[in-house]
Amino acid sequence: MSSNRLPSPCHRLYSVWFRHVLVYTRNLVSNGLPPFMDPLIFLAGVGLGLGRYIVSMDNLPYIQFLGSGLLVTSSMYTSAFECTYGTFIRLEFDKVYEGMLSAPITTSDLIVGEILWAGTKGLFFSFAVCVVFAVFGVIPLSASVLAPFVGFLTGLMFGALSLLITSFVNTINHFSFYFTGVLSPMFFFSGVIFPVSNLPKLLQPVAWILPLSHPVAIARALTVGHLSPLLLLNLLYIISLTVITGYFAVRRLRKRLVQ
Amino acid sequence: MADPVLIVENLHKSYGPIKAVDNVSFSVPQASCFGFLGPNGAGKSTLMRILYGTAERERRPETAVRVFGFDPAQNELDIKFLSGVVPQDNNLDEELNVERNLLVYSKFYGMKRREADGRIDELLSFFELSEKRKARIRELSGGMKRRLTIARALLHAPRLLILDEPTTGLDPQVRHLIWDKLRQLKKDGMTILLTTHYMDEAYQICDTILIMDKGRKAMEGPPQDLLDSHIERYVLEIVKPDAGREIASMPVPEGVRSDPSRDRLVFYSNEAHVLRRIAKNLGHGEYHLRESNLEDLFLKLTGRALNELQ
Repeated sequence: MSSNRLPSPCHRLYSVWFRHVLVYTRNLVSNGLPPFMDPLIFLAGVGLGLGRYIVSMDNLPYIQFLGSGLLVTSSMYTSAFECTYGTFIRLEFDKVYEGMLSAPITTSDLIVGEILWAGTKGLFFSFAVCVVFAVFGVIPLSASVLAPFVGFLTGLMFGALSLLITSFVNTINHFSFYFTGVLSPMFFFSGVIFPVSNLPKLLQPVAWILPLSHPVAIARALTVGHLSPLLLLNLLYIISLTVITGYFAVRRLRKRLVQ
Repeated sequence: MADPVLIVENLHKSYGPIKAVDNVSFSVPQASCFGFLGPNGAGKSTLMRILYGTAERERRPETAVRVFGFDPAQNELDIKFLSGVVPQDNNLDEELNVERNLLVYSKFYGMKRREADGRIDELLSFFELSEKRKARIRELSGGMKRRLTIARALLHAPRLLILDEPTTGLDPQVRHLIWDKLRQLKKDGMTILLTTHYMDEAYQICDTILIMDKGRKAMEGPPQDLLDSHIERYVLEIVKPDAGREIASMPVPEGVRSDPSRDRLVFYSNEAHVLRRIAKNLGHGEYHLRESNLEDLFLKLTGRALNELQ
């Protein structure tokens, strides 16, 4: 008989997270390199082409404006992929969750662990973008220290939201609606490409409903160094949406895992 | 005798209009092997899942479920910590190799790395998988995957092992290997609970079997006792239909029962010589005289074969 005691909730979350780290680090090159390649390609594209036509945006060099937005969009996409396609495969095809539930792990441990992992990937992806941008002087070094933390929050938020979406999906193809219908428009209208203030007056409040607008606002403020107390509202939005969607994701996915 | 490891009283579970488990009660003493025998869809898996909390039972006042004194509806984690579960599907982590599949589970059980490493070595060699340590899951044969899934359930040295159809779809050699290992574990004090639709599996390793049919308990007891008290000792099967036609037209001798529901002519009796007399005009290979088994018992009880779908 093992002398161990029943693992604590923290340990259980850690062990779910550990499983994902183990899987991710197995292919370190193919998983670890692309996050650094993406911003390089962006720099080449904007630096060599687009940057000649659009020099500045909202009183910022355009490369810096766009770059500060991209700090968090990479986090959004990676956590959304992880918690839609990744989760669905673990849930329906590989039955990984079913196996995990035969160990002392609850369904909430599983789902919250999944959200934490999405946050971790968000952190890593925005860190990769930061490193590249800081090396090329696109964003100041001071900003790049804090930006991965915004990437972490972005990952948590889109992880939780995507898990909630996944709980409604029965066929893996349906995720394309989420990506082309929700995430792509968000990429264009959340202040990444152009400021929200350039939108028609009527549409501006709509843009602030979109989840991505809030981490973008924080990331840009960090880049510019204009920290205002209003950013706390953005932070509050991110935390609230994460908690609410996370709560319903746990409830709905539990129904799929427990008969 | 010590308290039973497992007590189930008046358990019910429905999926919509279908009753998967219909008023089943039983208890399992320590260091014994208890088997659920029944065709696919008899409610065996559902019953197992209820025990470790991945299916919810119907809430009724007369129902009680206790595993090591814990109720799965409240203390699912305590039960899972003391038990090892081998689900019907192997559900191994395809994205990790053999060794790491076990390493991840050692974390789930809160084991220290050094303890886990030692235990992984031990189990891989116990299940003859040491050479496959670094192999990917998709490189393993069906039998290897099954052994690895059982090894995974034993990682934390549980006191109860729950196996849902441990050898379905495996070749005879692997089945015997798994049976040997299970017998060895039982000798070391492990309590084993398993489901099966193979009568030889139930007969060979279970101390007690519970025959399930359409969610209900049809019969319970030690396999040999059930055979002794519910079915004749010998069975004569007429293999060739032509040969059977003539015999079918003759009156059935005293002390012999024939079963018209089966797809071939079958006679049962406690006396082998009476059956031999029926077959006296038949040539070699035209009949089969043997001892009765659980399959015959199940058929007598339910009118259906064990491997039929319900």
